[in-house]
Order: sequence, then structure tokens, then C-alpha cells
Amino acid sequence: MALDPKYAPLFEPIKIGPKILRNRFYQVPHCIGAGSDRPGFQAAHRSLKAEGGWAGINTEYCSIHPESDDTHRLSARLWDDGDVHNLRAMTDHIHKYGSLAGVEMWYGSSHAPNMESRCTPRGPSQYNSEFENLTYCKEMDLDDITHVQQYYVEAALRARDAGFDIVYVYGAHSYLPLQFLSPYYNKRKDKYGGSLENRARFWIETLEKVGKAVGNDCAIATRFAIDTLYGPSSIEIEEDGLHFIELADPLVDLWDVNIGDIAEWGEDAGPSRFYRQGHQLPWTIHVKRIAKKPVLGVGRFTDPEKMMEIVRSGAADIIGAARPSIADPFLPNKILEGRVDDIRVCIGCNVCISRWEIGGPPMICTQNATAGEEYRRGWHPERFPKKTSDDSILIVGAGPSGSECARVLMERGYTVHLYDTSEKIGGHLNDIITLPGLGEWGYHRDYRESQLAKLIKKNKHSQLSLGQNPMTVENVLKYGADKIVIATGSSWNTDGNNGLTHDSIPGIDASNNWTLTPEQVFSGKKKIGKRVVILNADTYFMSPSIAEQLAKNGHEVTIVSGVHLANYMHFTLEYSNMRRRLHELHVQELNDVFASRAEEGHLEIFDTYGDGSTRIYAGPGKLPRRENDTHRSIEFDSLIVVTGRHSNDSLYRELKTQQGDWSANGIKGVYIIGDAEAPRLIADATFTGHRLAREIEETNPQFPLPYKREVAIYGAQRMQNFNPLIEYKF
Amino acid sequence: MKILVPIKQVVTLDEDFEFTPDNRDVDHDFHIYDLNEWDDYSLEEALLIKESNDSPIEIIVCTVGNEYADESLRKCLAKGADRAIRVWSNELKNTDSIGIARIIAHIARREEPQLILTGVQSSDFAHSTTGVATAGILGWPYAAVVNRFEPDHDFTKASILRELEGGLEEAMNIDLPAVITIQVGINKPRYASLRGIKQAQSIPIEEATPDSLGMIDSEIGESGSASIIKKMFIPEKLSTAIIIEGTPAQQASKLAKIINDFKGV
Ligand SMILES: Cc1cc2nc3c(=O)[nH]c(=O)nc-3n(C[C@H](O)[C@H](O)[C@H](O)COP(=O)(O)O)c2cc1C
Repeated sequence: MALDPKYAPLFEPIKIGPKILRNRFYQVPHCIGAGSDRPGFQAAHRSLKAEGGWAGINTEYCSIHPESDDTHRLSARLWDDGDVHNLRAMTDHIHKYGSLAGVEMWYGSSHAPNMESRCTPRGPSQYNSEFENLTYCKEMDLDDITHVQQYYVEAALRARDAGFDIVYVYGAHSYLPLQFLSPYYNKRKDKYGGSLENRARFWIETLEKVGKAVGNDCAIATRFAIDTLYGPSSIEIEEDGLHFIELADPLVDLWDVNIGDIAEWGEDAGPSRFYRQGHQLPWTIHVKRIAKKPVLGVGRFTDPEKMMEIVRSGAADIIGAARPSIADPFLPNKILEGRVDDIRVCIGCNVCISRWEIGGPPMICTQNATAGEEYRRGWHPERFPKKTSDDSILIVGAGPSGSECARVLMERGYTVHLYDTSEKIGGHLNDIITLPGLGEWGYHRDYRESQLAKLIKKNKHSQLSLGQNPMTVENVLKYGADKIVIATGSSWNTDGNNGLTHDSIPGIDASNNWTLTPEQVFSGKKKIGKRVVILNADTYFMSPSIAEQLAKNGHEVTIVSGVHLANYMHFTLEYSNMRRRLHELHVQELNDVFASRAEEGHLEIFDTYGDGSTRIYAGPGKLPRRENDTHRSIEFDSLIVVTGRHSNDSLYRELKTQQGDWSANGIKGVYIIGDAEAPRLIADATFTGHRLAREIEETNPQFPLPYKREVAIYGAQRMQNFNPLIEYKF
Repeated sequence: MKILVPIKQVVTLDEDFEFTPDNRDVDHDFHIYDLNEWDDYSLEEALLIKESNDSPIEIIVCTVGNEYADESLRKCLAKGADRAIRVWSNELKNTDSIGIARIIAHIARREEPQLILTGVQSSDFAHSTTGVATAGILGWPYAAVVNRFEPDHDFTKASILRELEGGLEEAMNIDLPAVITIQVGINKPRYASLRGIKQAQSIPIEEATPDSLGMIDSEIGESGSASIIKKMFIPEKLSTAIIIEGTPAQQASKLAKIINDFKGV
């Protein structure tokens, strides 16, 4: 198949300053957990996208100096020659595919807590970071300004030496240049504060200096949050936003524009729960009115129709993408090859982001199990090693892990039977996508559904057996498969068993008519009364989602939560709008409160910290603290228990007890993946299925092969004149 | 006792394909083969009858086609059919559904089944004639578009339900042997297990020819057919899409006008 001519404009080259982007697909800066210290990861992840057709590919935010040290989160760094050496691997590999490599030069000011370097951040005025919350910066005097601008210049020269084609001055997400521009941060009275021209001065001068330093070797880009969404107290697009574009346009070769700040950067990387594709357009559409230089914008662009609309209407020249490029590094090539329906569409769950927010473990992706595994495990998202045997494989359970396992095994050429009781693949995802805002998560299922349909056409012995009776041990043993994969998922606990007490809660029993598990809420068979109490011990989306759904349907909802409600949604940037939503819907919350027993209509609750604050050893059989005396009761008509999950692993365990019968039935191995092994994120469940499929012929594929680790080596010389010996200064 | 289940390996097409130079068929390079959807149901019905009967029943699947068709026969064997017959010779190339019915009738005379279960139609040509024509040639009773089939215990009669237009159903009794054309939805076709698939690989498929079935020349191929294909082509599209342009408000009023014109308001 070939490129649909209507998408041809997306493949027209475009000039940015001294460089040419070979098409309109551009990976905007985004973190992956590689930085400068995992250069193999960095080079592999980014160059894979060059292979997949992206014309421009950036690092994550890249610190220009130890004074901007984001430690506990993970940025790239261009501090010294060692960083130059390491990042060179990325640029070299990108260049092999004819794409351009960009670096996002970053100075964070108070938002960077400098926990490793222990330097003092400097800013336009002194403020306590609303993002970091215990970091103040020093207000810059005029010498400081020149000094910090020189950091940018020196980092730009190192960037050039590392082979970067595009150097950014990064002024989005409330980092330094934007702090000068925004009166929210900048309270100065000198020539760097007050009027727009004054507030823009720092940024303009920096662009001039960096431009002069790199000359024609690099294109100059700037990333600009054209509206911080605070109203008149900060940057508004049709006020300072467009004025700044006008002022800086002569100094930049490429505008990379977005909206929002850092404390709520989910307004930029909008989760699908709240924002659709193109959600930034009402703001970014204005930029081209003023800018004479090429403009790119973001907004989870996955659909070539939408991209064409943007390019055709002149809303932007270039399609910027972070998450869509993670979910499908081959998105541009798939459009080019007329394979639009093969695109692995980003579901907007923001689990990629959660890893950066947590502090920089390697990025993961719910859709793309190979994200972050390119270098260390050698996983290519589109190419698979051919099968090494004629083993046939039965997979019981077609949820996220089972369907992914089947897909990869079939890609490898194995004959696979994927078996499920449900009429559709997707497992519990089919329920989750009915929750408010989570419909797009269904793309995870849809991708696998369409790929499996294609793969089954190629191997007629492979089969998707849906709507079947539950498999018994006997069925599995007699099925005729060489290898068995159990992917039977998990269920919510029916008895209140939870991660706080590791025990059930007396009186809670979802077989009665007033208690419901989430599955029972989905099935709709039990009547839900007016007053609903959700007992929560889960830290992700289930409780707030059910609360939102029921409150919208007119129920009075109270969440009793023994854990930080939806804590993980801080990391996926869904937290603040979820909070606003629950507030609008008058959902009541009792936090740090849990339950000790239930009876029809009443839940006995207590404050989790209601026991004594002092601790003594009082001998065996006695508690070391004063006993909790905060117990009281609240009323409900229906009680929904979101306290914990357990694996549906009985089929696996029974098969294990009949291990003696395996070989007589031709069975070489039985493995367990996904939630059936241990309940987890959909991304991790998908990963376990993918991994098993890649390693199925190993001696014991239940357990992962080791991966390549990138670690500092004692005594190795990282850069010239680096002395690795332990040396005290006396 | 035997049940004969004639099946067809149908052709599906991707978006892009080409015709043969004589324009009477789609170029075989673009054929994607699959078992006719209706035949999944007629085979399942035969399997269900076999499983619910105490006396032994042999299920014979048969088809007319070259060696490519073995794949569909093996699929049936994998699900539990006992025996498979594939009839082919080069003279059979342009055989229509009447000609196919003649072949099935010959197989039936040889095998003497108590029941022939076919699909209502094939998904590629959709003639809906093979089953009823077979009955006509054999002089057997038949019932078409059957969505319930219940034989009595000694297999001399069956009570059936037929699907009629407009959601109606017709109940009737039929004497056996008979030809029944089975409608999709009558049952839930099973999937083959890997064991079934593996075992089916080693079951021999009988390769019969018109000759070996005792057919005479006037029954074979084009001579035995009632029709020949003159030409295959893609009809010209009559309706064209229009792109509605303008501001959202203009677009909305244009769209409203189109809808109203369509409704004749
Ligand atoms: C995992 C992840 C990390 C990100 N890190 C950065 C970053 O380091 N610098 C930056 O300017 N933007 C960063 N972003 C924001 C993206 O560049 C982009 O503005 C945002 O995700 C919206 O684009 P999208 O809808 O195509 O994902 C990050 C986004 C993601 C998903």
C-alpha cells in the first residue's frame, strides 16, 4: 500500500533556519528516564523514532548547568564533556536516518530543587516554587543575569559539539525565560521587569546570545507557553502571548508552542480523561497570525485527518507529538505506507508521565510495551525475532496481557489459540472504558483486536476463541497445546480485604444485596441505592471514577478512604481535574478514615491515626500504642468496596498440582502473566504478556532474562582529567 | 448413519484486486480463502446431532475445488467431522451451483446419508441454490433457511423452524432423508482445539473426480451448469460525496438543507 495522496502535505520538507526537516512529524521534548547517564537508552529510543519517520527528535529537558538540577526527577544534562560524549550517541544514531536532533536547554530556577548539586537556583524575583514547594530562588541582580545567560551560551556550544541540529531556549512549563516574562513570577522594577518589553528582555537577549554562539550550525527553537491559563495575572495568548511572538520572531527559526504551567502541566499533556485530540488549538491557532517562522503545536495528535486539518488550515506548520510518538514510534511511516489502521493510538492515560513524576524510572507505555526497552532488552516495536520451534500455544484469557502475548507470538510466527469467555477481547478494560472519560483507553483493545484479525488471516491454524465456557484443568490438559499461558486476570475483593489490614472486614460480603464490587457496579444487576459509600483502599482511578459516575446519576456519594485517594493520579496529571470534578459533583470524602465492620445500612469507621502517638513495649499480647477509640458509624444504602484485588489464578494453581500429567499430554510448560500473576497497571500487565512472548523459548520463560544495565563503572574515566580515585582534601 | 455436509471454500477480497484478463473472475492472486460462514453453522448442527445421539453417526464433509480447498476441509475435520471428500478435475473450472449440486447428488447416491446439511448460501456468490438444487436432483424433500432442526429419535422425521421475512417463523415437519439449508445463528459454532487441528493434519482426504463418482459428460462442468459468467466488473458509483465548506454556521445550514431536500420537506 502507498501514501494516501491526501496526506502528502504532511511529508513535505520544511526549512527551519539553516536546517531542513524532511517532513512535518516532530517529536517534541519529552522525558524517558535516560537523560545523559543512560546514553544507550537515549540513543536507541530517539533513533528508533527517526527510523519510524519522525523528522525532528528532541531530548527531554536538558539542564544547562548544575545550578539547574532536578534531582529526584531525571533530566538530560549538558554540563561537561562527558555529557557531550554521551549525547553524541543519540545525535549520531538519529542522523543515520536523515532526521534532525534537538536539545531542549533548560534552567528551572526554583522549580529545580538542586538536591544533587546543592547550588542555589536563581530567578527573576524570589519566590517559593508552587511546584516543588520548599525551594526558594535567589533574586538575580544584573550580574547574575549575564552570568546565567552565559550558561545558556556555553551549553549551546556543547550542544553543537554533541551534534545537535536544533537548540532550544526552553520557556514553557514555567521555566526561567517564562518566569521573566510572566508577572506571576517577575516582580522586578528594573529593565527586566514591568513592561512587556522589559519582561521579555531576558529571553530575547538569551536568544540573541545563543544564536550568535552557534551561528549557522544549529537552528534556534524556543518553546513557549503562550497562555499559562491563569487569566490576566500571567501570560494570555492574545495579550503578552502574541506580543512576545512578535518580539522574538526574528530571533527564532522554529516556534514550539503549548499552554499551561508546570504545577498543572496536565493542561499541556492533557490526559484523555479530560482532553481530546487538539485540545490546545483554541489557543495555539492564533500564533500563525503573527509568527513568520514555522510553528509547531501539540495536542495528542494521532489521527492524520486531524493533522491535515491543522496543516491545511494554517493552524501550524509542523505536527508536534510526545505521547503519540511513544505509543507508536512508527506513526509517520505507517501513514506514509498507507497503513493508518496499524497505528498504535495513544490512549492518553499518561502512565508515561507517571514515571517522570515519580522520579525517573524508565518510561513505560500502556500501548507500547517496547517503550523504554529498546536498548536494554533490544525490543523493536515493529520487528520480532522469528519463532524457533513449531510449538503451538494456548493462551487462556484475552485481556491486556493475554491479547498482547498472542499478538507478539503470532508476529513471531507461532500458532496461537487465544481463548476467552467474553465475546470481545480486552478483559476488564471493556468495563473500565465505560467509566467517565476513559473511553479512549479502549484503543488498547482495538489495536490488538485489529492486529490479531490480520495475523490470524496469515496463519489459519491460529484462532481467537471468544464467548467460550470457562476452561477447566481437563480442557487445558487435553487441548493439544505445547505451551499454555494463563492470563485470567484479577478480580476486586468481595470481603473488604485490603492493603492496610491485609485482612477482610467483618460484615463485608459482596454476595449480599447491599454490597457491590466494581465488577458488580459494571454489570448493573444489583440495584444501587440513593446514598452510596465507597470504601477505598486503592490509590488509582477506580474509586473516583465510580464516584463520578454515580454522582452524575444522582446518587449521594461519600468516599471513605484509608489511603491517599487517587494518589497515582498525581503522577498521571489527572489529579487536579479529578478533584475539581468530584467537588462539582458534591462527592463527600473522609480521608485517613477506614472501616472496621459493616452491616446493612451502617459502616463502622475509624481514623487511621486514631490510636496513640506514643509507643511503649507493654509485653506480649498488648498493643504498643493506646487503642484506637475513634470508631463511629456512617449510613448508606449501598456500599461499594474498592479495597483491593486478587489474582484469578485457580486454573494456574490447579494445573501446577497436575504437573505430572503435563508431558503425557504433550505440554512443555505452563506460564502465568498479567493480573493473574499479580494485579498491576494495564501497562505492566501488557508488558508481562509481551515479554513472555519474546522469551517463550527460554529455559524458564516465566522469569525475565537479564537486561543490559547502564551504570557508572568504578575507575572508568568519563571525561578528560577525571580522577576516579578516592581523594580527601586536607 | 451418515450426515453429509457439503461445504464451500469462499473467496474474500482486500481493498485492492485485479480481474483475470478475460474479465470473468478476480485474479486468483488476490483471492483470500476462508470457509463459508454458513457452513460453520451446518457443520456445527451436524456435530450437535451426532453428540446428542446414542447410535453412531458419521459426518462426511465434501467440497468441490482444487487442493487449496483442503484447508477448509481440514478445519471441519479439526472440529470433529469424521471424513472428507474433495472432488476436482480441470473440467470443473466453470461449474455453477447447479453443476455443483449434481456432484453433491452423486456423492449422496454413493454414501446414502440420512441427512444433507448445507448452508443457506455462500458469502461470495450468494446464489442460495446449491442445497435446494441438490434436493431437486435427488428427488428429496428440502427445507431452506432453517433456524431450528429437531430430528425424531429414529431419524425418519424432523420438526423444523424456518426463518421468513419480517421476523416471521414457519414451523413444519419434514420426512428424512432430506436436504436442509441452515441459517446462521441456529447454533454457536465451536472452535477447533489445537489437538483437533493437529489430528486433522493426518486424516487422509479422499480425492474424487467426476469420473470416479460415475458422472457422465453432460453432467460435468459447463455442460452440467445452468449459467455461465460473462463478465465481472466494479459497478460505477452512483452517489458522490460532497464536502460541505464554510464557517460552522454555514456548514450547519447547508447540511440542514441537504437533509430537508432528502426528506422532501
Ligand atoms: C513522558 C513525558 C515527558 C515530558 N517531558 C517534557 C520535557 O522534558 N520537556 C518539555 O518541554 N515537555 C515535556 N513533556 C511535554 C510534551 O513535550 C508535550 O508538550 C505534551 O506531552 C503534549 O504533547 P502530546 O499531546 O503530543 O503528548 C513531556 C511529555 C511526556 C508525555
